Amino acid sequence: MASSPPPSATASPSATPPPAAPPAPPPSLAELFLGMQQVALSSFGGGLSAWSQRIVVENRRWMSNEDFITGLTVARLFPGPNQINMAVYIGARFHGLVGAMAALAGMLLLPFSVLLLIGLAYFYLHLVLAVDRVLAGVVAAAAGMALSMGFKILGEYRRDPLALLLAAVSFVAMDVFHVRLIPLVLVLGPIAMALYWPRSPRPPAPAPGLGS
Amino acid sequence: MIVVACQPASLTDLANLAAVIWDFLSLSLFSLGGGNTLLAEYHHLSVDKYCWLTSRQFADIYALAEAAPGPSSMIVGLLGMGAAWREGPIWGLLSGVAAEVAILLPSTLLMVAAALGWNRFKDSPFRVAFERGLGPITLGILFGVGVKILRTADQDLPALLVSLLVCALMLCTRISPLWFMAVAGVLGGLGLINR
Repeated sequence: MASSPPPSATASPSATPPPAAPPAPPPSLAELFLGMQQVALSSFGGGLSAWSQRIVVENRRWMSNEDFITGLTVARLFPGPNQINMAVYIGARFHGLVGAMAALAGMLLLPFSVLLLIGLAYFYLHLVLAVDRVLAGVVAAAAGMALSMGFKILGEYRRDPLALLLAAVSFVAMDVFHVRLIPLVLVLGPIAMALYWPRSPRPPAPAPGLGS
Repeated sequence: MIVVACQPASLTDLANLAAVIWDFLSLSLFSLGGGNTLLAEYHHLSVDKYCWLTSRQFADIYALAEAAPGPSSMIVGLLGMGAAWREGPIWGLLSGVAAEVAILLPSTLLMVAAALGWNRFKDSPFRVAFERGLGPITLGILFGVGVKILRTADQDLPALLVSLLVCALMLCTRISPLWFMAVAGVLGGLGLINR
């Protein structure tokens, strides 16, 4: 349930000071797998990054709270689902690519198996009238959840007219002119980056292409 | 709803299979701000371009992925299953796993590099511009995705009202969305929400 993150995972960890206990020795591959599996199981029903923080930082003490917050930042910045990126970050920190795979497997094995079972059930049963009627209701609720995603982060940009303009342009391009995501990001991305290039005391870095 | 019959792309054609895998691999690196920005592209691929699913099935699958435990970005596994379902359930399962691997592999490799090289990268102006610049675009895309899913899902007024109510509750309360889906599922079962 990545789209319904627990109430601000960055805010709650920073509110609780990290435990002063010394860090545990680095986890083995099996421990990474099992730890991430525990995160996946605990977060049934949501709150994944809060659980991840509790298990990785507080219970197992693999990393400090600061390290964890840095990981969340990186996981959100880079492409890919945030929770999955976080598992990759944790695994890679200890054992590189192999560690990342172990953590990822732990995070995904059970939920993905459950999802495939749900999928099997769906494709066998979706023509059953009762199933279809229940799904009609669930779909209406899920559509409301999808609609809330944009509103959730709108507040961060309220005082930034340029950001709102960029958001409006992306929205219109996508929804009215049906521009596909990849060309949209490839064209608007560099423009937005040029507009937001940090102004340093040094002469401004060459802004790529259009814009500023 | 009438869906114009379009010929489902057969995955037994190797060129076709390669094209499909390429589409998912390349989308992987464009999933800004988590996986949800890709939902409209998933709809485009599986309903319009390759015709694996009807729009209605897509909406069902989106809802199931949201309701299921674990990251909702695993929806790609269900799309993959739908792609090969007509070849039988075994192919559906294999295709589901393959689709999930394809969508995760590039972003995972990049994330490994990021985890290992973050300290060198974090103060670069490129990073700052990327974070600040791509944020607003992500915002616009998320609104676009929300509207797209809403259009795909809701055909009648009660359903639309339920969606708007859930949206408001998501923003104003901390109630788990599982409750909303459960209650709406019951209303649907009673025939109060149709499509």
